Amino acid sequence: MAAADLKASCAAAYAHPGVRWLLGGELHPGGPATTRRALELAGLRPGQRMLDVASGSGASALLAAGELGATAVGVEYGEEAVASARDAAAAAGLGDRVEFASGDAEALPVEDGSFDVVLCECSLCTFPDKRRAVEEMRRALRPGGRLALTDVVAEQDRLPAELRGGLATIACVGEALSAEGYERLLADAGFEPIVAESRDADAARLAERVSDRLRGARLLGLGALAELPLPLEEAIAMVGLAREAIADGSLGYAIFGAARQ
Amino acid sequence: MNGLGPTTSICPRCRVVLDAELVERDGRVLLTRTCPEHGSFEAVVYGDAERYAEIQRFSKPGEEPRQRQTEHSRGCPHDCGICPEHEQHTCLGIIEVNTACNLDCPICFADSGTGTAGHGFSLSLEQVESMLDAFVAAEGEPESVQLSGGEPSIHPQILDMLRAARDRGIPLVMLNTNGIRLARDPAFAPALAEIGVHVYLQFDGFEEATQVAMRGKSLTEEKLRALERCEQAGLSVSLAAAVERHLNEHEVGPIVRFGVEHPAVTGVFFQPVTHSGRFRPEADPLDKLTNSDVIEAVCAQLPEWFRDDDFVPVPCCSPSCRSATFALYDGSDLVPLPRLVDVEQYLDYVTNRAVPDLDVREALEGLWSAKAAGGSAPVVERLECVACATAIPAELREVAARGFMIVVQDFQDRYTLDVEKLRKCCVAEIVPDGRMIPFCAYNSVGYREQVRATTGAESGGAVGWRQPT
Repeated sequence: MAAADLKASCAAAYAHPGVRWLLGGELHPGGPATTRRALELAGLRPGQRMLDVASGSGASALLAAGELGATAVGVEYGEEAVASARDAAAAAGLGDRVEFASGDAEALPVEDGSFDVVLCECSLCTFPDKRRAVEEMRRALRPGGRLALTDVVAEQDRLPAELRGGLATIACVGEALSAEGYERLLADAGFEPIVAESRDADAARLAERVSDRLRGARLLGLGALAELPLPLEEAIAMVGLAREAIADGSLGYAIFGAARQ
Repeated sequence: MNGLGPTTSICPRCRVVLDAELVERDGRVLLTRTCPEHGSFEAVVYGDAERYAEIQRFSKPGEEPRQRQTEHSRGCPHDCGICPEHEQHTCLGIIEVNTACNLDCPICFADSGTGTAGHGFSLSLEQVESMLDAFVAAEGEPESVQLSGGEPSIHPQILDMLRAARDRGIPLVMLNTNGIRLARDPAFAPALAEIGVHVYLQFDGFEEATQVAMRGKSLTEEKLRALERCEQAGLSVSLAAAVERHLNEHEVGPIVRFGVEHPAVTGVFFQPVTHSGRFRPEADPLDKLTNSDVIEAVCAQLPEWFRDDDFVPVPCCSPSCRSATFALYDGSDLVPLPRLVDVEQYLDYVTNRAVPDLDVREALEGLWSAKAAGGSAPVVERLECVACATAIPAELREVAARGFMIVVQDFQDRYTLDVEKLRKCCVAEIVPDGRMIPFCAYNSVGYREQVRATTGAESGGAVGWRQPT
C-alpha cells in the first residue's frame, strides 16, 4: 500500500461508525484512563500548551483542556474527524482553548518549539515514516518539553504472518515496534527517555471487547456491516490471534515518556 | 454501603425471630445470630464479600402490590401473605398443585414423593382457579406464574389448570416438571404446546453420581426424550439445575453448553440447593454454595463465553438473591448481552449514573426480573426494544430477541434466612386460602408445613397417567 493510501485508509477506518461501535467508543487501549496516565507522566500542567498528533475524535485534547487546564491543539489527517472534533470542542464549551487542524504527522502544521507537551496515542505505529514523524514531534516541542507516546508494542518476529503488514497495519499491529524499537527511535531523534510503562492489560481488554462485538455482529447476521475493512470472519480470526499474542507477551501496549534534549 | 451489618433472622430450630449480623469472614459473607435457647448459628450467605458489597447498588425501590392479604400481628416473618411490612409486589407466583411425585428424590425442598397420600394434598381445579384469581387481584396483570408440586404433571387436571392460567391473560405460564411424563406420554408435549406453556425442566447434570445423589436414579435418557418431545412440539424449555456443593458444581458449564446447543432450550436456571425439606445430611451451612460460587464455576468452566460481570443482579429483589444474563447465541457461539449494551448503567439505582433511555431501562428491568424466562413472549418483546435502542437494523432484531437466559437464584433456608432481604422478595407461593407467601419464608419459617397440614387431601390424591402401550 502506498504511504498516502495507508494514511487515508487508517483515518477512514477509525472514523467509520461500524469501527467505532466495535471499539465501544474506546479508540485506543485503556481509553481516557490511559490518556490521563500518559499526560501525568509527561507532567502536563494547567496553562501549558499541548499538541495531540493524530487527534482523531478530539477526546484527548478535550481531556487535556477540560480536566487538566491546558491549551490544546489537535492535528488529524482525516478532515471529517477534524470537523467533528471542532464541534465537540464547541459543545464542551472549550472552543477558546482547543483547536484542531487538518494535517500530516510527517509535516506538522505548527511552529518550532511551540509546545510544552506532545501527545501521540496509538498512531505512530501506523505512520509510514516513523523517524520523520518523531522528528516533527521534537521540532514542535520547546527544549525540555516532553513527549507522551502510547502505542502498540510488538515483537514482530514472534507474531503470526496474519498480524504483520497490510490490514494489520490499520489495526495498529502490523508495523508496531518493540519496546526497544520505540526507545531507539526516540533516542535517535534526540529524545532523552524518561519512562516506559507497560499497559498490556489495556490491550487485552480492548481486544476482548472487539472480539465480543465482532462475534455479536456475526450472531446478529451483521456480516454485511457496511464497509468494514475486512470480512467479519477474517476479523474475528485476526482478533483471536491478537488475543493469543497479547497473552503470550509478543503483543502489548505501552506508554513511553521522553524529553526533548 | 457494603451490605453488611445488623439484620434479623430466625433460630433454625425454634424459628423465633432473632437479631442477627451480616459479617465478613475469610472473604465470604456470613449470617450470625444467637438463640437464647438453642445457641449460636452461622451460615454463609454469599461466597464473595467483595462482590456482595459491589452489587448492593443494583437495588431498585420496591413497588406496591394492589392488595395485601394479611395484617400485622406477630411481626415479620410470621405474618406472611403479603403483610403491610413487605416492601415488594410479586413478580412470579408459584402454585404447588400437589405434593405427590413420581420420584423420591433424596434432595427435595418440597418434601414430596410417591408416598404422600394421607399427609399431602392434591388441589382441585376450582382451588387453583381461585388462587389464580387471588394473584390477579393482587397484581392486576401478573406476567408470570409457575405450576409446581410435587410433580404437577401427574395431577389429572394439570392441563385445565395451565389453561386456566393462560385464560387469565398471564403471558408466561410455566410448568415445573421432572420431565418423566413428557418423556413417556407422547400426547403431553403437544397438549402443553397447544396451551402455550413454557417448560421449566429439572436438569441437574449428566453424571450418574449427580443424579443418583439428587434424584435417586439416573434420568438422562428420560430427560433427553422429554427434550426431544418438547422440540418436536415447539415448546420452549428452561433447564433448572439444583447445584450442591461437592456434588455437581463441575457440571454447570456442560449444562449451559448443552442448553445452548439444544434447539428446544432457551435458558438455564441454577439454584444452589436450599437446605429445606429433604437434603443431604452432611450439608453444612458454612459450606453452602451461593450465587457467587455458581457464577464463578460457570465462568471457570466456560471462560470463552463468560466473565463474572456478565451476571448482573436482578434489581427487583435483594441483589444477592438472583443474578442473570442474556446472550446472543446460535447453537455454537454465544456473546453475553452486557458485552454489547451497558446493562449496569441502566440497572444501577444507587450510583445514580445518567440513564440514556428510559424505555431501555424499563425493558431491561423486565428482562432482569424473576418474571422472565428465555424465549417467552414478554422477554422477546423486551429484547427487541433493547436491540432497537442499540441501533441494530430492524430486520435483525428478531435474532437479537432470541436471547439465551441464564439465571443464578439462591433461595434462603432456615439457616440462611435474612429477614431484611426477605421483605423485598418478589417470588411468592400462592396458597389455597389466597395468601401469597414469599417463597423463602414459605420454605424456612414453617408455612409449608402449616399449609400442608391444613390443606389435606381434598381432591383425592395423585392420579397417574396411563402409560402408552
